[in-house]
Amino acid sequence: MAGVSDRRDTAYATAILHEIADLLGQLAAEGRGGAIDLRAMPLGPEDRSRLEQVLAEGAVKASIDAGGPSEIFETVYPGVWWARHRNEAGDTVAEFIEVTDCPQFLRSQAEDIRDGCAGLRRLLDTSHPQ
Amino acid sequence: MPDSMIPQDARDVTLGEYLAARGVSRRAFLKFACSLASLMALPPSVGTAMAEAMAKARRPSVLWFPFQECTGCTESITRSHTPTIEAMIFDMISLDYHETLMAAAGHQSEAAREQAMKENAGKYLLLIDGSVATGLEGAYSCIGGQTNLSWLTEAAKGAAAIVAVGTCASYGGIPKANPNPTGARAVSDIIKDKPIVNIPGCPPIPVVLTGVLAHFLTFGTLPELDPLGRPKAFFGETIHDRCYRRPFYDQGRFAKTFDDEGARNGWCLYELGCKGPVTYNSCATVKWNGGTSFPIQSGHGCLGCSEPDFWDKGSFYRPLSVGQWGNAATLGGAAAVGVALGAAAAYAARRRQDKIAKGD
Repeated sequence: MAGVSDRRDTAYATAILHEIADLLGQLAAEGRGGAIDLRAMPLGPEDRSRLEQVLAEGAVKASIDAGGPSEIFETVYPGVWWARHRNEAGDTVAEFIEVTDCPQFLRSQAEDIRDGCAGLRRLLDTSHPQ
Repeated sequence: MPDSMIPQDARDVTLGEYLAARGVSRRAFLKFACSLASLMALPPSVGTAMAEAMAKARRPSVLWFPFQECTGCTESITRSHTPTIEAMIFDMISLDYHETLMAAAGHQSEAAREQAMKENAGKYLLLIDGSVATGLEGAYSCIGGQTNLSWLTEAAKGAAAIVAVGTCASYGGIPKANPNPTGARAVSDIIKDKPIVNIPGCPPIPVVLTGVLAHFLTFGTLPELDPLGRPKAFFGETIHDRCYRRPFYDQGRFAKTFDDEGARNGWCLYELGCKGPVTYNSCATVKWNGGTSFPIQSGHGCLGCSEPDFWDKGSFYRPLSVGQWGNAATLGGAAAVGVALGAAAAYAARRRQDKIAKGD
């Protein structure tokens, strides 16, 4: 990948970026992406800096409060998302790079939609009894 | 009616229904499942499948028996000052017996135990912490007038599976240390006809137990185990394999005292007795206290507490020696160059420590 350092102290970052490129190509061609678990690799500070430099924030950023704060943003490469999940104590519990058109975690969950619908109908029935 | 920590009707709903009733959204539960999948080294895509499977599962009855233990394992697993997703472990199960946590005591608690065993015969999970005393026919450790040995053999008959929590239950631990006055034994030394998973550590990392339970709820089986009965997802690699100080080991940069330049620069602690090269656990990746740190990161070598008989293998502060911790192949899990380097460093460090001891 042109412009990406191949120094030993950013070797993990380089490998991850190559994997992302492959997944992005797969997503573009076949509609099937994937995810990379950043906590599965012993990233050093240089690796992390390199990843943050290359995969900078793009146009979309979301904050979610579900069992603690989570932050998901699309990077400058559309289809490449960076997700950081923390628990209520603020500890990082998971961190992924997702290659997808929309991360699963951003989507409303089917059961929550059904519960929300039932709740809204109850509210309307209470507010405006027929 | 004996006391129980969980209302009777809460056991009849699925885990998803139970959590929803407590205000935990499906999105929060999805995050919990994905973080567990990450910790268990499962592909990220499995997290979604785990969330779906676990939400449909019924909460299993769990009986936790304390034998020759210090309560450190319970302390580790319950150590949560603020509500966290990890604390959901107690939402995932129906903890029907736990002497430290349950409100009941005395005859009421024993009645609760017997009722749970009867109602869930063949289906409950049996968690044991502490070793099993076998000396004097088990008289060295008794609860309610019964030996731990008899409790274990009786309860194991109706258990779907047994989880040995901590090094004492997994391998005998500190009570088994020389001269082992109580005849302490591991759970697996006593029970031979039930699936047993060992979660060693002194204490064990809390999320390992959560991961094992999640695997059980998702797949209905215990996770894949190594030859010592430990879940490979958490005990598949040595501390040395994943240690952030590994580059210093490879470069031959070792701290020689706890306050020298090497120590201050965070160099390898091999010469100060670190047992990381021969210890399998997740401390270097999962870490402790919500991912804050682990012994090596805090400047102290690994004690090897998740390995059998670690108390009887010599000083924590002398470098690994082939004779006590295994053979060259064991120590040579890393590159051959690293082994030679480590062995030379160990020899030099032992000579240096002997000189200090003599006052030279």
